[in-house]
Amino acid sequence: MNSLLASAVAGLSAGGAYAILGVCAVFTYRLVAVVNFTGAAIGAAGTFVMVTLYESGYPLAIGVPAGIAAGALVATWIGIVMTTWFAGASASTKAAVTAALLVGIIAVGLRLTGGQHPHSFPELVTGSAFRFAGVEVTRASLLTLAIAVVFTLVTEQFLARTRTGLQLRALSLRPMAAELIGIRVRLLALCVWAVVGAVTSFALMVIAPLRSPDFMSLSLLVVPALAAALIGAFTSFRAALIGGLMIGIIEGVASGLDTFSQYRGAIPFLVILAVLLWSQRGARWDEAR
Amino acid sequence: MKHASLHAALKTASALAIIAGLAVLALPNYWVFLITAVFIVGVALQSLGLVTGRTGMISLCQMSFAGVGAWVTGYLNVAEFPGGLVVWVLVGGLAAVPVGVVIGLPALRLRGINLAIVTLGFAAAFDTVLATITFPGQTSFTQVARPAPFESDKGYFLFIMLVYGLIAVALEFVNRSRLGASWLAVRHSERAAAAHGVSIAHAKLSAFAISAFIAGISGGLLAGYLGTLVAENFNMMQSLVLFAVATMVGAHFTLGAIAGGLMITLFPELLRRVGLPQDVGNVFFAVGAVQALSSGETMSETWGRLGSKLLPRRAGKTSAKPPPPLAAPSVHAQGLALEVNGLTVRYGNVIALDKVSLAVPARTVVGLIGPNGAGKSTTVDAIAGFLPRYEGSIKLAGRPLEGLSATARAKAGIRRTWQTTRIAPELTVGEYMRLAAAGIKPGEIEAVLEWFDCPSPETVIATVDAGTRRLIDVAGVVAARPPVLLLDEPAAGQSYAEALKLGERIAAVPEKFGSAVLLIEHDMDLVRRACSAITVFDFGRLIAQGTPQAALGSAIVQKAYMGIEPEERVA
Repeated sequence: MNSLLASAVAGLSAGGAYAILGVCAVFTYRLVAVVNFTGAAIGAAGTFVMVTLYESGYPLAIGVPAGIAAGALVATWIGIVMTTWFAGASASTKAAVTAALLVGIIAVGLRLTGGQHPHSFPELVTGSAFRFAGVEVTRASLLTLAIAVVFTLVTEQFLARTRTGLQLRALSLRPMAAELIGIRVRLLALCVWAVVGAVTSFALMVIAPLRSPDFMSLSLLVVPALAAALIGAFTSFRAALIGGLMIGIIEGVASGLDTFSQYRGAIPFLVILAVLLWSQRGARWDEAR
Repeated sequence: MKHASLHAALKTASALAIIAGLAVLALPNYWVFLITAVFIVGVALQSLGLVTGRTGMISLCQMSFAGVGAWVTGYLNVAEFPGGLVVWVLVGGLAAVPVGVVIGLPALRLRGINLAIVTLGFAAAFDTVLATITFPGQTSFTQVARPAPFESDKGYFLFIMLVYGLIAVALEFVNRSRLGASWLAVRHSERAAAAHGVSIAHAKLSAFAISAFIAGISGGLLAGYLGTLVAENFNMMQSLVLFAVATMVGAHFTLGAIAGGLMITLFPELLRRVGLPQDVGNVFFAVGAVQALSSGETMSETWGRLGSKLLPRRAGKTSAKPPPPLAAPSVHAQGLALEVNGLTVRYGNVIALDKVSLAVPARTVVGLIGPNGAGKSTTVDAIAGFLPRYEGSIKLAGRPLEGLSATARAKAGIRRTWQTTRIAPELTVGEYMRLAAAGIKPGEIEAVLEWFDCPSPETVIATVDAGTRRLIDVAGVVAARPPVLLLDEPAAGQSYAEALKLGERIAAVPEKFGSAVLLIEHDMDLVRRACSAITVFDFGRLIAQGTPQAALGSAIVQKAYMGIEPEERVA
């Protein structure tokens, strides 16, 4: 029982990261109407900028902000592609675009970071925060958890209470109408992309040491991220937050069980399948007229 | 149309035979070996083209399906299953089918993006599973045995060409069949497809099943080609690259699948020779895919367009003999064809329809008119089964329709058109007619098109103007000869003269085809010309019913619809 709890707690830090990525996916979908397959790849780019600086001897105080800025920059670049050529495209075309971009970003990323070549990932936060029922809870997992919760709450309040939040909601629902009433649609959309890039970069920096840290594996964290976003039906930040945590914990528990540990990578898929089969009980049609 | 399929199939088959002959005779072994891979990838691309290109569902796990086929092939090889590679590959393809169906299930009612997520999730899951269970024979280096007459590299190349040709020819036939047309229709508009009696579930699952089968075969072929396989041959990145290339070239076109195979196989070779890193190819594919998505045109379509500009157009075959006369009208039940009683529809707090009733006797045209927002199209949606709930009863020839889906209602005999045309632009007029009227004979298609003054069956819908498309909309549902036709503003977008002519045609539909028509229209001349009775709605309520003169002449209709106050009329 205790070992099960230990592995569940071990899954917490991954869960926190999935939650951040999932909330970011909902954020991107709700505000700029893109299901973003490059979400984790953006974060991977930022993380590797940080690692490269760290390896060349710069202190983390420079490396981390530089990495976050790089993530924001990559995300903004994707935002420019989306707003320039795909502003009026359908959701599925935009998703296809990000899937195609993912191929290119992973190729470039693997090339620049030397493929599977091992890198020394600094642990941004080390040590254990406290012991819970005889199990170490690491500071890293608490930090990811805290970022996830704070980001969720801040986003909700920001969208509900500020003028910019109102403009963002208008932008996401009717981009054309928002533009016609004088909202600076493109600037806002690019800001959304930049924020997403910055947040995912930091999240991946925290959990990268716990993963097989090559560019591709980090980029493919988009799968649990999208699974978490699906649990929130791409609308609810809180449900995505909880969904991401759950996936992490289930993965943790599964790796604690010998029979399942090798198959834990299949868990996001099973979650996706279950959520979709559940959510499509009633018939729905495409747009009416 | 059988003729067109046969023609295209022969063209494909002979082109492939020429390529195969030339390659075997002229190229050195190394290049033949390399080109074999082009066509194996081509098979995988065709499978992706079917599900993503034709049906519009993003699949990011096509190489996982191939992996299922390859794994089964390897397993049967190690188990020394009788029948050799041909049987193993077939079994491998079949093994991929249930996997494809399970992946396709979540896409039945939800569209696009969800499927992309499921398939990417499956690719990730399959990666983990494959890394754990490994390929049969991988550790003992057991080679997958090639079939006896095709053991050499050139022999295996011919075998691959044979399989590729069989699949390509089969797809030519399927794509031109009603099933193929239903895939394009589903991609363009699920509502419109359902209104033609196409089962959306059937169309999507069949696309996924056939696609998984073909992908599974490509995996089995790869097993025979390489001898031993590793999990990396089928990982998620391979699926993503395949998706990018398919999007760029248009893998649902015969030319596109081969061009894509050439790029995936020969690009790394080319880069290697010029001393560039091979993953530059993936960046190129990504950029190409984004370019194709932004222009809305794949490379195959671009080449086709440029090619048709360069080559002189062959004069369209004008058949000398006039089309056969229309077949005799269908005989449907007498009495009331359609009966709506106490129909109430609510959208939240808004009452769109409030206990309205109307009846359409068999073999008559009844008009349904009213100002914008009166609830006319909502009535059509309710009758055709596109509303999640309504109160009241709708009967087709006395049989209640409650509980039947839109597809089932269309099959039972209620067919509708839409206010804006929803025909998939990639279809030809003839293919659309066969989609709308299942089992229609070629002569009958020509006769109906002629009767409505529509373009010839070979014409591609994309080249037809919007007004004519509305006409083809009507011709399609009329050709299905259902007991009840619901026409939603068929004359919108038509010139006055065309609208009058359309009115005459609609008036003659009961006599010529045996159907009853409920006609929604704003063009009063057309309504007067076509209808024997009129029902008038205003704000979701029935305000008048009767003969055209009586209904249109009544004071309340004049006020609601024409904005004429009774006293003005007197003055």
